[in-house]
Amino acid sequence: MVPRPRSIERTKVDYVRLYSPSKRDVPTPQSINLGQVNYSDTNESKPTVLEKNVHSPVTPGTVNFPPFEATSELEKSANQRISQYPEEQRRSAVLPLLHEVQHRHGFISPESIEWVAKKLDIAPIKVVEVVTFYPGFRQKAPGKLHFRVCRTLSCAMGGSYELMAKLCDLTGIDRSGSDAHTDPISVSPCGNYSVEYAECLASCGTAPVCLVNDDFHEGVTAEKAPDLIAKYNR
Amino acid sequence: MSDITYLPGKEPHEKEHRLIFKNIDRKGWDTSIKTYLKEDGYEMLKKALGMEPQAVINEVKTSGLRGRGGAGFPTGIKWGFIPPKNTKPVYLICNADESEPGTFKDRYILHQDPHQLIEGMVISAFAVGAHTAYIYIREEFPEAAVTLEKAIAEARKEGFLGKDIQGSGFDLEIYVHRGAAAYICGEETGLIESLEGKRPYPRIKPPYFPAAIGLYMAPTIVNNVESLCHVVHILRMGGEDYLKLGTPRNSGTRILCVSGDVKNPGYFEVQVGKVTFRELLYEMCGGPKDGRNFKAVIPGGSSSKILRCNESFKIGRGDDAKDMTFWDLPLDFDTLAAAGSMAGSGGVIVLDDSRRMSWVLNNITHFYAHESCGQCTPCREGSTWMMKVSDRIEGGQATPEDIKTLEQIAYQIDGKTVCAFGEASAWPVEAMIDKYRDELLSETSEDNNFKSLERQEQEKFLGTVHS
Repeated sequence: MVPRPRSIERTKVDYVRLYSPSKRDVPTPQSINLGQVNYSDTNESKPTVLEKNVHSPVTPGTVNFPPFEATSELEKSANQRISQYPEEQRRSAVLPLLHEVQHRHGFISPESIEWVAKKLDIAPIKVVEVVTFYPGFRQKAPGKLHFRVCRTLSCAMGGSYELMAKLCDLTGIDRSGSDAHTDPISVSPCGNYSVEYAECLASCGTAPVCLVNDDFHEGVTAEKAPDLIAKYNR
Repeated sequence: MSDITYLPGKEPHEKEHRLIFKNIDRKGWDTSIKTYLKEDGYEMLKKALGMEPQAVINEVKTSGLRGRGGAGFPTGIKWGFIPPKNTKPVYLICNADESEPGTFKDRYILHQDPHQLIEGMVISAFAVGAHTAYIYIREEFPEAAVTLEKAIAEARKEGFLGKDIQGSGFDLEIYVHRGAAAYICGEETGLIESLEGKRPYPRIKPPYFPAAIGLYMAPTIVNNVESLCHVVHILRMGGEDYLKLGTPRNSGTRILCVSGDVKNPGYFEVQVGKVTFRELLYEMCGGPKDGRNFKAVIPGGSSSKILRCNESFKIGRGDDAKDMTFWDLPLDFDTLAAAGSMAGSGGVIVLDDSRRMSWVLNNITHFYAHESCGQCTPCREGSTWMMKVSDRIEGGQATPEDIKTLEQIAYQIDGKTVCAFGEASAWPVEAMIDKYRDELLSETSEDNNFKSLERQEQEKFLGTVHS
């Protein structure tokens, strides 16, 4: 990422204007790079809520995923998704398109938000509001292996808290800074693993359960955690 | 059907009556259309296309099928709500956003028997006159989404989907739409908003009854996976015969998903109302774990009110009223409603005497605080307050006053929100306090002096505030 000139870096990006529907004076993604902000560089220590929601902070997992690029293959599957909805209701394809992006790039970056908005001919804020609402969309890079452990009643009784503790223990993840609402994902320092609590994965009869990337595992007690990780590292 | 063998350990209990789950965990069964066609698959689709749409609706009305998603609303009546003079396209949506804690029935249908769902959807779409149907599947089933898309492609190849299905002149396209891990998308108007590409804020009813004003402001029928699958069996058996299954007003079979502290948790497809809690928990699930006793049961997903195992109820009205203990209650919609809870989505969560109720309450309030969509103030703020207070009770830092506070918050959410999420988050708290007040009180202490951050700030500026 090319470092931005100091003047743009902290001058207030006018988000209200940037994410308003009038397209005339919206800067292109190239002219203002929303990609990475190095907070340590700036005088103010904490990012604002808006910045936190629109930016994707760099995590150790970022290296695992290619930067966003609208490849022809992505365009093709996106067009196919859009064709599933009535022509005048293209906006319906927001979720499918974001899934396509997340599946390939691991998380939803500001550039991909711009791309989805352009693709569907809607204001970027309408994509941002969707991304920030759904827990299924990640705004920062997870690890190569992303564990989603169910924490809801039946799994909790079956021992999912113990499973989470064991996973963190084995992978060196520190979950103390995470928050269920604003920052659910914790990434290991090596960037290979990340964990997150999920709300009910709908397999309560085989508790505790977890998802590893797209694979579902049932009856994963804390004792089975080392085997689970070993299975993917083989 | 004596030639069906099941995987070891997955054989149905003798009290079960398998319709929907006939092929689940079955030996030699797979998701391909070839396997499905071998067992007379898609025969009912052909039969339905030879009937009048109204005749299909009447058959479902006769069967008395009640929606299996949670509310138990009669499916045939729902289909009849489409305005007769409608000129807009009609949409059918399959609600596969199964996220009620304790429920895991749809998972098996979607993963192991997708063609049954597709057949049910084609019949239902034909009955209501829909030419586009969506399956809204939750994000946590990535594998099922792939399975479904493959099954749809297969069905289209065989001429069961697409243009002019089986030469009947009826067109239908089914698309899979993946959600993104939001519980509120299970609410039908929230689901529709989500399908339109927005935040899933539920719409207010009236006027937004989906059957009249739904997806893209056109008439829309939203049905649960299990309900749509039942349509196939209703056509096979005939509405009259289907009505004979189960008990009056609670016809057919339903899938009970048992989880928690029992020896053999899992799914059981039974005739509605023919199985009591005693039979379910002791005979079918093998009783409590060794050395423990049953304490309480949440009978229909985590939003239903908890029932104590040593309770007794008065069921029925007037002279017909009879006293029943918890163990004699049959699991049907009406009896559970009379017992002050609900049959909901069939997710039975069992708690034994090793569980602290404050811990259970805390887990549930955390779920609802996380999943509240934030549209209505009572629910958005209230669910978070309930979480904070229950955190305190669970951590042993609460005062007896906190139980009252919690109860007050719950009753102020109940009935004051746009959708049923308000009730869903308040009911478990109300019931838990109602039934386990003494146990919760025993974990509080007068000596605790918890001060919230807000209170601390207030006192800094205003001195000690007396409440």
